[in-house]
Amino acid sequence: MSPLLRVLQDEVQIVALSFLGIVYVLKLLWIFRFPHRTERTFAAGSARAGVQSSLMNVLMPWQMESTRSDPVFYVQFALFHAGVLAAIALSFIVPYAPGLLVGHGVRPVMLATLIAALMIGLGRLARRIRRPGLRLISTPDDYLSLVLTIVFFATAALLLAAPADWGEGPAIAFFALTALFLVYVPFSKVCHYLYYPFTRIFLGHTLGHRGVVARRARVDAEGI
Amino acid sequence: MRPEEDRVDIDRILSLPLETGSQEKAAGQSLPSVGRGDLMTYDAAQNNPGRFADLVRRKLNRSLVASLEACVHCGLCADSCHYALARPDDPRMVPAYKADQVRRMYKRIVGWTGRLVPGLVHAKRPASDEDLNRLKNVVFGTCSACRRCTMNCPMGVENAAIVRFARGILADLGIVPEGVFNVSRDQWESGNQMGVSEQDYLETIDWVKEELQAETGDPSIDLPVDVEGCDFMYTINPREVKFDPRSLANAAKIFKLAGESWTLPRWGWDQTNFGLFSGDDRLGGFVARNAYEAAERLKAKRIVISECGHGYRSTRWEGYNWAGYDQKLPTESVVVTIQRYIREGRITVDPSRNPDPVTFHDSCNIARSGDLIAQPRWVLRRVCSDFREMHPNGRENYCCTGGSGLLSMAEYRPLRLEVARIKAEQLKATGAKVLCTMCHNCIDGLNDVVKHYRLDMKVVQVMDLVAGALVAPE
Ligand code: SF4
Ligand code: SF4
Repeated sequence: MSPLLRVLQDEVQIVALSFLGIVYVLKLLWIFRFPHRTERTFAAGSARAGVQSSLMNVLMPWQMESTRSDPVFYVQFALFHAGVLAAIALSFIVPYAPGLLVGHGVRPVMLATLIAALMIGLGRLARRIRRPGLRLISTPDDYLSLVLTIVFFATAALLLAAPADWGEGPAIAFFALTALFLVYVPFSKVCHYLYYPFTRIFLGHTLGHRGVVARRARVDAEGI
Repeated sequence: MRPEEDRVDIDRILSLPLETGSQEKAAGQSLPSVGRGDLMTYDAAQNNPGRFADLVRRKLNRSLVASLEACVHCGLCADSCHYALARPDDPRMVPAYKADQVRRMYKRIVGWTGRLVPGLVHAKRPASDEDLNRLKNVVFGTCSACRRCTMNCPMGVENAAIVRFARGILADLGIVPEGVFNVSRDQWESGNQMGVSEQDYLETIDWVKEELQAETGDPSIDLPVDVEGCDFMYTINPREVKFDPRSLANAAKIFKLAGESWTLPRWGWDQTNFGLFSGDDRLGGFVARNAYEAAERLKAKRIVISECGHGYRSTRWEGYNWAGYDQKLPTESVVVTIQRYIREGRITVDPSRNPDPVTFHDSCNIARSGDLIAQPRWVLRRVCSDFREMHPNGRENYCCTGGSGLLSMAEYRPLRLEVARIKAEQLKATGAKVLCTMCHNCIDGLNDVVKHYRLDMKVVQVMDLVAGALVAPE
């Protein structure tokens, strides 16, 4: 292994990951600086049940009209995110547990997932460019984040699929891109997963507290 | 259905100018609310974009920041908004686009990336009052704050809360539609949305009482005012005093049959709350507090809210938070009260007295932002013989199109009626002859839809059907 690849897949990744972690922590501290409204009403339901249901929403496509009426979109969403997980996992497996890629069918499953995610990513890009409504709301960051993710999938797939005689090229491309990605992510829309728990918890808390979800039977009988 | 003739020019809507005639008049009359700084008026000499930025920083809260940050621009919300569905070729109707008009300012003023590399995320401060006026037209004119898009957003982004946030800041700058200013003025000045004076209020109550006594032949039937120690204090919509006293009469009749001890308050009777629509939490807190303090003063055991979507949401849920007032008394919709009467056998109803097919429209403020979906249906199934659901319904129902104060903003009416095509199609598919809702605001919004799209439907409230099904005791 060349010194470049060794540094790239180890020290550089650790530095980039630490940077990402630090920015995330700062962002979390920042969001907690904003005031949070005190709830002063009697509950008609259970805020906890609301939060649970809201957070589980992602696993229940039938709960939302948008995913219920377009199951293909939901499957694409699941595969796309599975691709992200696979690519991230690869960035740890290759330097620290390469044995996992030998046997057990891990390599072909990861490769299939990454290729599917890559195709879906390209489809998403086409959709974003084609649909006027999406085009209008898209910012350069939306395109850049998507293109970076697509290239991330492509290099990860290449790393898994490339024959040995291709040398270190695919690995260098993958780890260089991973490092770049890690530095860009906290400033891009890719870090939506950092906010996801907040929005879902706030929404679920309201729906649960008000009894839209898990309403207490006693409420209608006795009033609250 | 009406043909395509009503296509609105959206550029014209987005460039509608700021009308300040009412504001100048109010300032000229030295209205107390203006003098106290409660009701804000527009001042062109001020640095309004700068004040806007200050207010953004001051008024943000954690859930708003999360919603402003979390949107991934997936565009799924376009499939759930009646504006976007009715104008599928108009990208400016996409909920995320509307929220983005606020988001881009937030990003430039507060956001991390937006301050570092504004072009990357389309971050942009308002540069002039003209920009703020355009924002006014977006947030007041192209969204009924129904929250349907939130229910269909994978991220749970609260577009309506973002819209309301911007409305509130614009209200602080006096950059609001005339209708919003006028209703806010009336509510600040008189304590109720329609500027009903105490004398008019009391006289209408007397008149309703006399009519009811004559109609029922029962001289003991009463609409008590300011009686202490009752089982509940009844709060109403000023529309019931000004335009629709029938619903007040229905309530009095039902309460009498149920043997209820109840009272109206002399002050603090308005359960509606324009603060919800204008985004002004101070107005919201002022109006809600009036009702809570009235109930406390009268030592009522609970507060009952007549049929009104935004009034219910404001009085039952948001008002306590706006007013910084810890809830002390059970606070419920009159539909829940009626449900209890029927369940306990305190009133008897006969569904055959309402034989026409009835469908139910869920008010957004009750079904998505409140908590009552099963309860009105429980009652309706007992007071009419042919109840049919519209689809979608409950949490997923479409707005009546008149939500968020749009009924008071005449300039946006053509767009509202154009996008009402979605609602009209939904209503027509039920085949119902009676369209029931539990909201005075929805009544007006739906009547507009019914008239505009020439639907053969009568719009009523739950209490109308309950009153029609009442069986008087032997
Ligand atoms: S508001 Fe939600 S549904 Fe709409 S674009 Fe943003 S993330 Fe997607
Ligand atoms: S709140 Fe309702 S009207 Fe406003 S954008 Fe969302 S779906 Fe459309």
